[in-house]
Amino acid sequence: MSLLEVRDITMRFGGLTAVDGVTFDVRQGEILAVIGPNGAGKTTLFNAITGVYEPTQGSVKFRGSQVRRNPDLQLVVRAALVGILGAITTFVALNVQEIWTAAIEANYLLDTPFPWSKALRDGWSTARAVPLAWGVVPAVVGGMLGAATVLALWQRLRRTPDLIARAGLARTFQNIRLFTDLSLIENVLVGMDSRLKCGYWTNVLRLPAFMRERSQSAAEAMELLAFVGLADRAHAAAGSLPYGHRRRLEIARALASQPAVLLLDEPAAGMNPSEVTSLMQLIRRVRDRGVTVILIEHHMKLVMGISDRIVVLQYGRKIGEGTPQEIQADRRCIEAYLGAEDGL
Amino acid sequence: MELEFFLQQLITGLSNGMIIALIAIGYTMVYGIIELINFAHGDLFMLGSFLALTILGALGMDAWAGGGTWGGVLLLLLSCAVFCAGLNWTIERVAYRPLRASGKLSLLVSAIGASFILVNLGLFWGGLPMDVFAGGVAAAAPKDFPPLVPNTNLLGADSLVQLTPKDLLVVGVTLPLMLALTWIVTRTRLGKAMRATAQNPIAARLMGIDTDRVIGATFLIGGALGGFASVIYALYNNTISFQMGYRAGMDAFTAAVLGGIGSMPGAVAGAIVIGLVRAMSDGYLETRWTNTIVFGILVLILIFRPSGLLGSRAKEKV
Amino acid sequence: MRARVNPILIFFAVAAALPMFFGATGLFYDAFQSIFVFALVGLGLNIITGFTGMLNLGMAAFMAIGAYGFAILTCDIYPFQVGFWWGLLLSGAIGALAGFLLGAPTLGLSGDYLAIVTMGFGEITLDVLKNLEVITKGTQGINPLPRPTIGGWTIELQDERSWYYLLLLILAVAVLLVRRLERSRTGRAWLSIREDALASQCMGIPPKRTRMIAFATGSAVAAIGGALFAALLSSTGEPNSYDFQVSILALCIIIVGGMGSIAGTLVGAVVMVGMNAIVLVKLADWFGSREQSSSSNVLASPNNWKYLIFGLALILVVRLKPEGLLPPRLEGGTPALPPDASKPKSGVSIGGGGA
Repeated sequence: MSLLEVRDITMRFGGLTAVDGVTFDVRQGEILAVIGPNGAGKTTLFNAITGVYEPTQGSVKFRGSQVRRNPDLQLVVRAALVGILGAITTFVALNVQEIWTAAIEANYLLDTPFPWSKALRDGWSTARAVPLAWGVVPAVVGGMLGAATVLALWQRLRRTPDLIARAGLARTFQNIRLFTDLSLIENVLVGMDSRLKCGYWTNVLRLPAFMRERSQSAAEAMELLAFVGLADRAHAAAGSLPYGHRRRLEIARALASQPAVLLLDEPAAGMNPSEVTSLMQLIRRVRDRGVTVILIEHHMKLVMGISDRIVVLQYGRKIGEGTPQEIQADRRCIEAYLGAEDGL
Repeated sequence: MELEFFLQQLITGLSNGMIIALIAIGYTMVYGIIELINFAHGDLFMLGSFLALTILGALGMDAWAGGGTWGGVLLLLLSCAVFCAGLNWTIERVAYRPLRASGKLSLLVSAIGASFILVNLGLFWGGLPMDVFAGGVAAAAPKDFPPLVPNTNLLGADSLVQLTPKDLLVVGVTLPLMLALTWIVTRTRLGKAMRATAQNPIAARLMGIDTDRVIGATFLIGGALGGFASVIYALYNNTISFQMGYRAGMDAFTAAVLGGIGSMPGAVAGAIVIGLVRAMSDGYLETRWTNTIVFGILVLILIFRPSGLLGSRAKEKV
Repeated sequence: MRARVNPILIFFAVAAALPMFFGATGLFYDAFQSIFVFALVGLGLNIITGFTGMLNLGMAAFMAIGAYGFAILTCDIYPFQVGFWWGLLLSGAIGALAGFLLGAPTLGLSGDYLAIVTMGFGEITLDVLKNLEVITKGTQGINPLPRPTIGGWTIELQDERSWYYLLLLILAVAVLLVRRLERSRTGRAWLSIREDALASQCMGIPPKRTRMIAFATGSAVAAIGGALFAALLSSTGEPNSYDFQVSILALCIIIVGGMGSIAGTLVGAVVMVGMNAIVLVKLADWFGSREQSSSSNVLASPNNWKYLIFGLALILVVRLKPEGLLPPRLEGGTPALPPDASKPKSGVSIGGGGA
């Protein structure tokens, strides 16, 4: 079975169809390259796979199932709760002066202990005495809140990037998007976030679990930085890194979540030949860690050198798929990429 | 009685809405072109009305009060429009232009700073030792604005619904201004350049549009509208205060957001809605809750329709 | 990391030592007590705006919620009377709840709109406080408020030195906890959202939840600041003590000090509130002394200079030192003030090669 099944993905922006019915499979442990001329829809495809965009049509299955939250009873219950609470709050807010006066002011005398149960009863009876017409507003507000909650929860059911990242698909970006004010190690630790377990209060109070997790995660982050060759600058700001190193940091950050699939968007862009060579080695080493790699790349030496298979896109459509040798022999792919006359 | 009361609130609401609309256009134009909530705009409007009062005092025109001095009104309108336009342009030059490259938050913070400086200037201005400012004794107190435009009821003295020359003044000033503005934006070269800059400043510059000048012109126009609004506001309400810019600014900005920020018809529609909501809330509920209702509406609209009633939102490109 | 002494420690060491050197004058204590209170409010805003990048223009509302929550729960005109310490804790909880309720529907909004919503929330809160006179006692404010007791010993209102150290201690605890958060998974998630919300989401961080936690935490800290503000006066004061100006003061504190920097927030509070309490007073005195009719002179009241000073502080810092006086720690990092400045505008971003 394939690790990732991309089925009939279509992405439309208004009248423009950026990706048009693209289908392919990704196998466990391979390096798959997606190539195509500028504007072929490669990055859009990546965005659709990683949940940045909701595809207009089609599906992406990871390990046989679509990554999304399932609608269940909880959704209805939460919406109803929000609606009811909203209605009650609105009701109290609209009548707070009367209720407060009856329950608190009227019952509070300095020298006697405060009669809590009587206050409650008085407050309740005041609330009940409010004319029915005043109940309409809270009911409407409550209903609106409930509806809004359904809407909000419904939107969360879609494949959001965080959910997909947590499922095991990590990515890098075409225009490197690091957290420039954070240190290298912090960047990697953010990438590791989905694997960390300590909650808010554990962190505030620095419970033993926090201390354990902190030293362990720092060690792992250092190991990853060493893996991409940046361990010596672990505490410098990511913004201070030269361009070529930023790519490596982005890869380390993506690997920190121990993903099953790593999607690299033009990792060699702007690199010189020697950097490309070491990047190729890095990508192979990533694969050797057991991570399946999908990459978008224009650099043909890199693509032909490390890919197990290649998918070719043009004008949003898949026009070819196969091993590097097959693609190099395919006329359509050569024409699409290099123009009609010249071969590779 | 019921009907008359309703009609009265309607007239008040519409008049106030038209004034808010003039201010709201200033917000929406600036936001449309450089994505900045120009916090200082409301306070600019406040300073405009202080200038109007100063001119009245200097020329001794408060003595003409109640006489229907339309020439004086015209003088005030023009001088305040010029003043506010110039001031708005200066603020853009000094406080916004140098920061345009350094991010939206910096710009917004700078705008808040500019707003506070203007408020303080208004406070000091109110302390001038002039008769119209009550001799400057209580600088912070609201100032009376002489009723240059008479408050007579055009529908007859015994009619329960009041329609005064003030209401006509509001309509008579705002409608032509809005038509002129529509003409500028849709028909002239400047308008085309403004729309181009709003859509894509970089592309506009590459096409040879001097975007700095276009942005400057936007601030000039927005400021002038604020100046007109300041005079008719003062004439309509007959009281001004250095704090009114904040309140009016919030109303106008709410209107702009309500209608979809960046859209001029939206701003006008939003302003009229806000004016009506205010008038109805004042009339049928309680005045003291009116602000809460207006802001509550703003929050609700932003939650359910973040792009406003008539606005369209560009999806973030990733 | 650079080997240097932690500026936060310096701040607390100096603050703890100051009363011994200064003659214990009222002006000194007044100034520093409000510095500590506003440092707390700034600390809360720093979590929301400095760490997480959400511009909040309604911080005064959370301060007010803390102050009135504290007052209603502790004042002896009401039956609750939970006492100073419980009041302080509960006011923090109420602040967090308010932050959560405001944040739940609105934190999906983008920067400017969120700023306006928070500003509107500030206005609504003020109006509610003014209008619900039955509960809030309108312009009189709720008073008197209880004094803190520590093991049977009560700090009286006049005992300014004890108040000074009490506030310093509470501030120190708050700074410690916020710093712990900053240096943990929770804080890293906040910072990553400020730096690049989309990249952060693609790393598996749920944006809305993370923002909400930051918003609630910041609101809680500010609410505790508000509670202490009221406790110091033994009254909530009138609702207008929590107006837009106060929200802007909090913003000035973190911008002048350095967005996203705890040490910066402390320094910003000293500079801004100190300026308020000392420089403005001197300035106004000077203008007052030049003219005889000082009572009518608008320039002679320190309050009348506030707007100008705040406004100038904002514009000048943004122009001249956008990273603030004590920016966050890292070498080579870009200035923290415009969290979005280092990124391309929305038109030119990672999809360049795509559509």
